[in-house]
Amino acid sequence: MTTLTIARNTFGEAIRKKILLICLLVAMAMIAFAVSFASFTMREELTIIKSFGLGVIAIAGMFMAVILGINLIPQEMERKTIYTILSKPVRRYEFLLGKFFGALATILVSLAVMTVAFMLMVFFKNHYVVDFAMLKGIVMIFFQLLLLTAVALIFSVFTTPVVNFFMTSAVYIIGSLADVTESMSHGTDKNVLVRGFYMIVHYLTPQFANFFTQNPLIHGIVIKNEAVYYSWNILYAIVYSSILLIVAILVFERRDM
Amino acid sequence: MAAAVKTENLTKTYKNIMKREPVNAVSNLNLEVNEGEIFGFLGPNGAGKTTTIKMLLGLVYPTSGNAWILDKPAGDIEVKQQISYLPETPYFYDYMSGSEVLQFYGRLFGMNETTIEKKSMELLKTVGLYQDRYKRLSDYSKGMLQRIGIAQALINDPKLLIFDEPTTGLDPIAHSEIRDLILRLRDEGKSIFLCSHQLSDVEMVCDRVAILNRGVMLKTGHLDDLLLAGHFEIQAEKLSADVLGKINGFATCVDSACDIVVIDVEDGDKVDQTVDLIRGCHGRILSINPKRRALEDLFVEIIREGNK
Repeated sequence: MTTLTIARNTFGEAIRKKILLICLLVAMAMIAFAVSFASFTMREELTIIKSFGLGVIAIAGMFMAVILGINLIPQEMERKTIYTILSKPVRRYEFLLGKFFGALATILVSLAVMTVAFMLMVFFKNHYVVDFAMLKGIVMIFFQLLLLTAVALIFSVFTTPVVNFFMTSAVYIIGSLADVTESMSHGTDKNVLVRGFYMIVHYLTPQFANFFTQNPLIHGIVIKNEAVYYSWNILYAIVYSSILLIVAILVFERRDM
Repeated sequence: MAAAVKTENLTKTYKNIMKREPVNAVSNLNLEVNEGEIFGFLGPNGAGKTTTIKMLLGLVYPTSGNAWILDKPAGDIEVKQQISYLPETPYFYDYMSGSEVLQFYGRLFGMNETTIEKKSMELLKTVGLYQDRYKRLSDYSKGMLQRIGIAQALINDPKLLIFDEPTTGLDPIAHSEIRDLILRLRDEGKSIFLCSHQLSDVEMVCDRVAILNRGVMLKTGHLDDLLLAGHFEIQAEKLSADVLGKINGFATCVDSACDIVVIDVEDGDKVDQTVDLIRGCHGRILSINPKRRALEDLFVEIIREGNK
């Protein structure tokens, strides 16, 4: 109940953040702008709209997750609102989870708004046929953002927003290059230590790359064992985020306010 | 009587890796606040008052020592149901209205919506914000924010209230109203831990005080015991020059600039001796009063001595 109260408050405050509203409006405008790509054939045009739309949603979502995540705890400390809340019968983990789920709800609602705009664009360009396959891409973007918010949250427990921005971005970039770190960890021409380093980086960093399913979806490429692939990655995002949340709680429980 | 707040050798040391010397924010603090009293917790800026409050609320962990609130360890989740805290210059979510702020804090106490609604309206009237209850906090003045802070601190009908500078930013009328409210809360049986730089307020409302400087408690006790310095002030008239000279010999201070002579003597035999001398010369005693020092004078003296 307490977690829900904190989450509702976090959501209520986040949806009023001007920077997020601007980000959402720009994303919506860009999705709508994709209609102007009319110099291509109908099929090419639809492919571009899908590709562009999913890309805009992924980037806007990432931006929102980072902005929200890096400010979750430092802003409460800076404004001292945390003192009146934690002096009430609120456990620290309830507060942290409330902040996390409030941020996640904001991301979910923003994604839903962008998805409606995107699906409508695709619907009109696809001869009034709903392309439900696109929703798979949106679901994967959401779970990628879940993971990214958890990464930002764990850093926000002990760093400033600026430091957190660079740390979260670095983790996101490394995690998005999972194919590269994997190939580096297997290269036979490299030193054992170098391979070991890349292996550690590859397995410890959240593998954001696994959630990029836009290309096969747009081009109709069939993913082998698609259901298993999606389920496994969703489970991976949930388990990895849970571990990050547990670590964040352990750190937060011990720190002085 | 049970203790509303008790600390035993409470210590907080901050270690800064950039500096060699650790900073003792609070050192071996032993406090006891009785239930039903207003306890003034005083000290200059940086004395360790806020750190102590944070330790009592479980926001900061002590390096050593112990603290209890209402006979339970400080920071205990159950005890937080019965306490409330008003920080210095309180900050709230400014997208909320006054009424929503109270709803939010009421929910954190697990109160049901009907109770919250009833209690909120009552408190908004008490702090004089009923007319502005739907106004966003971003449109509130500093004084209004302070008043909504007081209202949130009362939402759970607490047994112990920890107030950090509750009258900051208030106009004289609101200032006086909050002072009266604090006294009323004490009369209702609540304990109040009051941290304030407004020494005149402290002097008017507190039963006991503690003075802290650089993390060390320098003085604690009943306000009357601390301020009644063991001196009496005798006002008299029609004294002969001879008697005046004799009194001058043992009195701390004799002010005879006008017809009325003001004599400051230490408690005990000297009061009797002065009275006898005045009566002996057929002088007239106008008043005999225990001399009370201003808390501000005591505070300045203690802090200066502590700094030596």
